[in-house]
Amino acid sequence: MNDTFQRQLYHYSALIFLALIALAPIWVMVATSFKDDVLVQDGTPLWFFFHPTLENYEYILTRGKFDRYLTNSIIVGVASTIITLLLGGFCAYALARLDFKGRALMANSTLLVRMVPPAVLAVPAFAFVTLTGVDSDLAVLTFFYTALNLPFAIWLLFGFYKQIPVELEEAAIVDGASPLQVFFKVLFPLMTSGYAVAAIFTFRIAWNEFILALLLTGRTTRTLPVGAAGFITDTGIEWGRIMAMGTLIVIPPLLFTFFAARQIIAGMTAGAVKG
Amino acid sequence: MSGVSLQNVTKSYGSLTVIPDLSLDIAEGEFVVFVGPSGCGKSTTLRMIAGLEKVSGGQIFIGGRDVTWERPKSRDIAMVFQSYALYPHMNVADNMSFALRLAGTPKSEINERVRRAADMLELTDYLHRKPRDLSGGQRQRVAMGRSIVRDAYCFLFDEPLSNLDAKLRASMRTELALLHKQLERTMVYVTHDQIEAMTMADRIVIMKDGVIQQVGTPKDVYNTPVNTFVATFIGSPSMTLLPGELSEQSGSMRIHGSGFELPIPDRLKSRAGASPTKAVTMGMRPEHFAAEARTEAFAPVNLEVKVAEYIGSSQFLAANLGGQDVTAAVEVGPEADLLGDGQYYFDTSRLYLFDRETGQAL
Repeated sequence: MNDTFQRQLYHYSALIFLALIALAPIWVMVATSFKDDVLVQDGTPLWFFFHPTLENYEYILTRGKFDRYLTNSIIVGVASTIITLLLGGFCAYALARLDFKGRALMANSTLLVRMVPPAVLAVPAFAFVTLTGVDSDLAVLTFFYTALNLPFAIWLLFGFYKQIPVELEEAAIVDGASPLQVFFKVLFPLMTSGYAVAAIFTFRIAWNEFILALLLTGRTTRTLPVGAAGFITDTGIEWGRIMAMGTLIVIPPLLFTFFAARQIIAGMTAGAVKG
Repeated sequence: MSGVSLQNVTKSYGSLTVIPDLSLDIAEGEFVVFVGPSGCGKSTTLRMIAGLEKVSGGQIFIGGRDVTWERPKSRDIAMVFQSYALYPHMNVADNMSFALRLAGTPKSEINERVRRAADMLELTDYLHRKPRDLSGGQRQRVAMGRSIVRDAYCFLFDEPLSNLDAKLRASMRTELALLHKQLERTMVYVTHDQIEAMTMADRIVIMKDGVIQQVGTPKDVYNTPVNTFVATFIGSPSMTLLPGELSEQSGSMRIHGSGFELPIPDRLKSRAGASPTKAVTMGMRPEHFAAEARTEAFAPVNLEVKVAEYIGSSQFLAANLGGQDVTAAVEVGPEADLLGDGQYYFDTSRLYLFDRETGQAL
């Protein structure tokens, strides 16, 4: 055995080990979602060989309000992602390009806001809703998710904008581009990676968020994670159904990430400047 | 008046004044090079002509039109940036045609103009490549091509060659000069490299601290620098400045200082005589030293050679003259051994005199 082979062996062993750790819970979820109640309560951990049933899926798709929860989740996730990217993009651009008082402080402190766990915001958020009397739960949730995600999006996009040489914009201006043309024809094509990464993160966080959603939504405005938690009842926890719901919840962000990640091209600005 | 004209242009950032008051007329079709050390305001001036910086005062005319408050796009200019600023997501053809496409030029005309510019710059084979797949020199040419297809009234260059290696820079210099001949457009070029300025310019503008020191042809600024700054900035290796005293003995004016006493050339006699001060600075260009006296004007000087650098038919000497550093470039032919201490000759007809206080040429 030569050196490189041995090193590769170590590398792959480590990677496989990590992958197993990451994937095991997901497998348990998926496996459990195909088990009936008896099997779940059985206690013997059956990982692979059992008689699968679609009973859980059938139940949540036909008897529950899965479609409504899904719609709510999509509305809140997509809306907050779009607003976050739009506002965050503007802020990031301003921080990266314009010179104004307190710019450095702002650029560096945006992330601090991100350090606050959402749970801490639960009580103030609830108070806000009660005091203002806003009655559209989804709008409120979109608002809070946007607020929650903005700092990270700004910070991320700020880094991407800073990588784009300002001469590119100037060249476009001299070439006769209007501010909007500079943005859409020069900046945005170079920023797709940044926006894609920001979109993945903001959408995922909005999609998975539980505490604020639990607190701020009602019977008809629940999002999927809150819906899933509904199977924790006084009479027991319906593991099979929760896991089936969990499995379904995972799919949209997975598709979304897959799509968005294709926009991420490393070294997009290579060749813009110098030799 | 056509061409480019700057009238009492000023530029300040807050309380910091970068350009106190700058006026300059550039004739139509002229190739003018702004040169000066970094921070002298040459790039700022160029960017004000381009419209990328707003003036704090004064007016700018391009082609006889007051463009002081016009946007860059309506100034009829094209600009080449130091960093090239190629659009990385567009191929060469798209980079070159970007401005035309924005302007809504018909497709057939765009193709024709891109083809012609690509021909001129030998980029035809690379039209479909992205900038990242090009070498530094090719990128530089694309940046030029991008401005050529515009067919603008005035071309602006912001240190376009400073990212290239020495060899490529020399050949691009030639290409640029050729380009200017072919296009017959007004060109304003900014550089910190006096060689670029000397080789390409119709006229050179030498700047320092936001103030124009001298405007003139390369010959002018080399032969009659107005002050010590211009004298030392233009020419390579640069001029040696030595303190000296003017004196007059039996009708002949001389200058003497530590380790030398030289006659004042005829061309400077009257001005030296009229000088209010006897304390002057003498300027000696390295290339006016020689190993032997070629004319009567050559006067002997004793140089203590610290280092001799062989560069072919000449040698650069880092020498000592009466305790002061002197640079000399002595032509001795490529076969000569490295030069040492001894008597050399200086062409006193090429001597320069400056007021020691003000630095102004006598």
